[in-house]
Amino acid sequence: MIRVERRLTQPKWLMFAVPIGSVVVAFGVMTLVLLVTHHSPGHTFLRLFETAFVGRQSLNATFVSATPLLFTGLCAAIAFRMQIFNIGGEGQLYMGAILGAAAGIAVGNHSGWVSIPAMIAAGAVGGAAFALIPAILRAFLSTNEIITSLMLNYVGALVINYLIFDSQSYWRDTSSPTAKVFPQGKSLPAAASWPVAHVGALVLPFGLIAGAVIAVVIWVLYTRTRFGFEVQVIGDSPRAASYAGMRTRRKILAVMALSGAVAGIGGASQDGDFRHTLDPRGLTSAGYGYAGIVIAALARYNPFAVCLVAFLLGGVQNAGYALQGADFPSGLVGVMQGLILFCALGGELLIRYRVRFARGTRTSEAVA
Amino acid sequence: MVAAVELRAITKRFPGVVANDRVDFEAAEGEVHALLGENGAGKSTLSNILTGLYRPDDGEILIRGAPVSFHAPRDALDAGICMVHQHFRLVPPFTVAENVILGDHRGEGKKLMVHPRRIERQVAELGERYRIAVDPRARIWQLSLGEQQRVEILKALYREARILILDEPTAVLTPQEASSLFETLRVMADEGRTIIFISHKLHEVKAVSDRVTVLRAGKNVDTVSTKDATLRSLAALMVGREVAMANRVERETGTGEPVLEVRDLWGAGDRGGDALRGVSLTVHCGEIVAIAGVAGNGQRELAETVTGMRSASRGDVAVDGRRLRSGDAREAIRAGVAHVPEDRLHTGVAPSLSIAANIVLKSYRGSENANGPLLKLRAIREHAARLIHRYDVRGGSPELPARQLSGGNLQKVVLAREFHGAPRVLVVASPTRGLDVAAIETVHRYLREAAASGVGVLLISEDLDEILALADRIAVIYEGVIVGERDAGEATVEEIGLLMAGGQSE
Amino acid sequence: MILAAGGINNSIVVVVLASAIVYGTPLLYAALGELLTERSGVLNLGVEGMMLVGAVMGFWAVQRTGSLVLAIVVAAVAGAAMALIHAFLVVTLRANQIVSGLALTIFAGAAGLSSYLGNDLNLADQPARQSFGSVLPQSWRTVNVAGPILFDQSELVYASWLCVALVAVYLNRTRFGLNLRAVGESPAAADAMGINVAAYRYAHTLAGGAFAGIGGACFSLAITPQWVDGLTAGSGWIAIALVIFAFWRPTLCLVGAYFFGAFSGIPFTFQARGILSGIPPELFQALPYVMTIVVLVLVSTAGARRHLGAPAALGTPYVREER
Repeated sequence: MIRVERRLTQPKWLMFAVPIGSVVVAFGVMTLVLLVTHHSPGHTFLRLFETAFVGRQSLNATFVSATPLLFTGLCAAIAFRMQIFNIGGEGQLYMGAILGAAAGIAVGNHSGWVSIPAMIAAGAVGGAAFALIPAILRAFLSTNEIITSLMLNYVGALVINYLIFDSQSYWRDTSSPTAKVFPQGKSLPAAASWPVAHVGALVLPFGLIAGAVIAVVIWVLYTRTRFGFEVQVIGDSPRAASYAGMRTRRKILAVMALSGAVAGIGGASQDGDFRHTLDPRGLTSAGYGYAGIVIAALARYNPFAVCLVAFLLGGVQNAGYALQGADFPSGLVGVMQGLILFCALGGELLIRYRVRFARGTRTSEAVA
Repeated sequence: MVAAVELRAITKRFPGVVANDRVDFEAAEGEVHALLGENGAGKSTLSNILTGLYRPDDGEILIRGAPVSFHAPRDALDAGICMVHQHFRLVPPFTVAENVILGDHRGEGKKLMVHPRRIERQVAELGERYRIAVDPRARIWQLSLGEQQRVEILKALYREARILILDEPTAVLTPQEASSLFETLRVMADEGRTIIFISHKLHEVKAVSDRVTVLRAGKNVDTVSTKDATLRSLAALMVGREVAMANRVERETGTGEPVLEVRDLWGAGDRGGDALRGVSLTVHCGEIVAIAGVAGNGQRELAETVTGMRSASRGDVAVDGRRLRSGDAREAIRAGVAHVPEDRLHTGVAPSLSIAANIVLKSYRGSENANGPLLKLRAIREHAARLIHRYDVRGGSPELPARQLSGGNLQKVVLAREFHGAPRVLVVASPTRGLDVAAIETVHRYLREAAASGVGVLLISEDLDEILALADRIAVIYEGVIVGERDAGEATVEEIGLLMAGGQSE
Repeated sequence: MILAAGGINNSIVVVVLASAIVYGTPLLYAALGELLTERSGVLNLGVEGMMLVGAVMGFWAVQRTGSLVLAIVVAAVAGAAMALIHAFLVVTLRANQIVSGLALTIFAGAAGLSSYLGNDLNLADQPARQSFGSVLPQSWRTVNVAGPILFDQSELVYASWLCVALVAVYLNRTRFGLNLRAVGESPAAADAMGINVAAYRYAHTLAGGAFAGIGGACFSLAITPQWVDGLTAGSGWIAIALVIFAFWRPTLCLVGAYFFGAFSGIPFTFQARGILSGIPPELFQALPYVMTIVVLVLVSTAGARRHLGAPAALGTPYVREER
């Protein structure tokens, strides 16, 4: 007989053991899947590991994959901490990319000192503005933010497609002959390309560093300030917050705007760091926003853990793209992310509850 | 004669607590058997075991002499056991008839298709016969709590329950409604049913039961015949020591300046419509004014509107003569309105946060706890440790999550925080619900001390005993209106009860 | 077939309505399933993933056996298998329903299991051995107006109508439906009355998965009909929106599905005919999402919530009160 009891105290070590355990279990299940479908798990995992984390090139590619995931992971963690389920990181990232690219095109002739802050600001504004739609509906009309922010992801994808494929917009390249046949975005001016930091042989994108700085700021904000205190109280018990005279509506707006802004900077980083154009196909097919929710959940909404998990899952994603082909079946990355998340969710039970295996000792049964 | 129901050596453990420790219990057919005990004595756990909601760790259950094993509530229902829970188990958007047939798998309920009309007729007939009529087509959310309780009893009658358990059934009733319920229970017992009546109120137990089983700290103490017992002997069994019966502690009655003035207050309720319909009252410095009434007559809305958690649609609230902005809890706190809310675990504290965080829940913005936007974490921790010590919060440390405290200690945390803010007015809602006798005494002592220090106390309670023990003045609320006000000295239970039922006086 | 009829049957209104039914049918199946799941108090955001796995497994079955009936059964079972993961996590392990549903979409979705299976079973770029087509006689299909709209449809469409009726009767008239609604509204009340809350939640989450699987198979066996990675193109999310749009009522799901289906078909129809070429197709495509938000805002006003709103216990795990 299995009994599940609420834990009176949650041991510290479990907070680390459970996420690690989930990854291990997920790899176990993955091995089974590969065996059943006649792939060699050893070979696949080795290739995965090598391509993700071994060597300079692998690591550099992993940094590139991890950058957007870091932003969307932080975006989800910021909101989920207050029990505001912002599923809209995806759409907020598109909006950030759109406004970021507009800023890049507009001020790209100036030096990087002007264009990069301008792009970051524009991206943050775009993401925040898009996040404020579900935030306002939630705060003033108590409309569930999960579904509204989710729906807006699709609206965002349609907007970005419209700008490049179905209009003569500011973002669309209409000059070159190929662009007339295959619609594409304007290339950003050189000064709108974000710099990289060289650490030894490693190349860190500017966006990755910015994301890490944001993670630190958020940690301070959430653990050391009055704002963070209010967020904690509202997240734990909205009634207690209103009882204590906290302005819950303002906080919903502020947290959603912050969350959206971080995703939006992630969008601007896509323009400035990597793509150097507004790239609808690349952005909408990557699913950064959804992966960000996985990352935030695995990191248990801790900003530092988000950095780590984003790096690990970035590696997996990078390997997935690089290896796609015969010895690395397509779809493996999604299966693996899904499995890890399932295991982490199941593991959450171990943190909150104690599972006991007990022999049936009830005498009434024996009598009956 | 074989007992209708018998429990032998029932043991049930929860993490960190033994709720039932080898409890024996036995009730006969045709008997009203009271289960008496303080809050936390294990009465609810025992009844949940009897209804199949919990499975005992040890011990056995016999129904008419035959051992049974309940794996799920359905097994208990099939054995003829029904329970009226303290928090009703009704589906609000369903009709009365739909609630009655829910989960039934005999007779009408066995059929694949549901025909509400036939059940409606049956429900109406049962209601007539037992004098607990309710419109079978009404939706639950449209009914008062007293009517909802009738639906619960109708459910049991419809299923022809042989054993009916009622958990604190009078909490939502006026004294008159309660005696009418007792008559219905007596009729049901005379038909040969077994009624198990759970309560911690001695005079009810004395009034309704044939026998009493007393539980204390998870163990059964004794089973006595009601007619041989006195209120005093029952109280001693329940608490384990001689207790002063809830006598009034006389004290200086405050006749200071008016500190809280509520004028013609109107406000919407959660169920739609106006929950407050023109409430006016005044509380003076050093005075305890009690609001009596049956649950659901606007008490919660009154407490929340006065403390700014809820907006008024009309009328105003003034503290020390200064009008407060409606629906602004922060302004009310600044004006010196302290609030001990009804739902202490989810409103009074943020349960997963630390005791320290909960102690500064209202003062975290002040300069003693914050330096601009940054919190002074160390100062907060030290402040919390001091209050934990001063208010004797047992088992508390600043870092401990609040939910891990017992009800009484949690209430001490709330009181510590509210008193520390040097309040002018204290709004207290059901402050002792669910607490044991020792904790009740402590809370009452704090309230009296607060009044003695010049604070105006507005006590909102459904417990008339508590009101009579504490209040200087009693105002009775009925359907959002104050229907009468009495000085505590001249009020009688009968008169207050009549007002609680909406009966007009004068 | 439409051209053959000519005249009124080729008018833009008829063509749009006919395509609304075609594109609305997968939405209808998936939404009926999600409706049953949500009525039990479980929110499953994994519809898209379950649809894709249903689509790929249904297509695999028809390639292996040539039987469309068997393919539908396989699609339903595959969808239900995906739903089982969600049910286990949220009912038994009390996990967060939102995160679990998203995990299911990531696990099973366009970059996950469905793609893995499609690749591993070599299903891409194969022509379908069998697919669903019109079943009624030619003379019916050429009837003015009603012909192309109502009679020129596949078994899947007619079966979906039957499903709507069955689900509506089940919910509102049967004992099980009553119990199900009680579980979604007030699990504590249902539990006290001897209803097995976990069993109801499992059963209806699985039923939801099965319907989603069939909805996915509508693409791979009727609309497309072949296997392409991510061929449902976000239908699963629209289906979730549709349940809200339909106020959790099966008959309104039918109306809503065709309404949303029309917007999926309109851009193609208009483009083919050069109508309203000034209006970007994205505008039509965005309408279902925007309208869902509007409806959601309307139902979240306090008054509407009681009469039309979501099952009260939606999204919350049920645990017997603990001490």
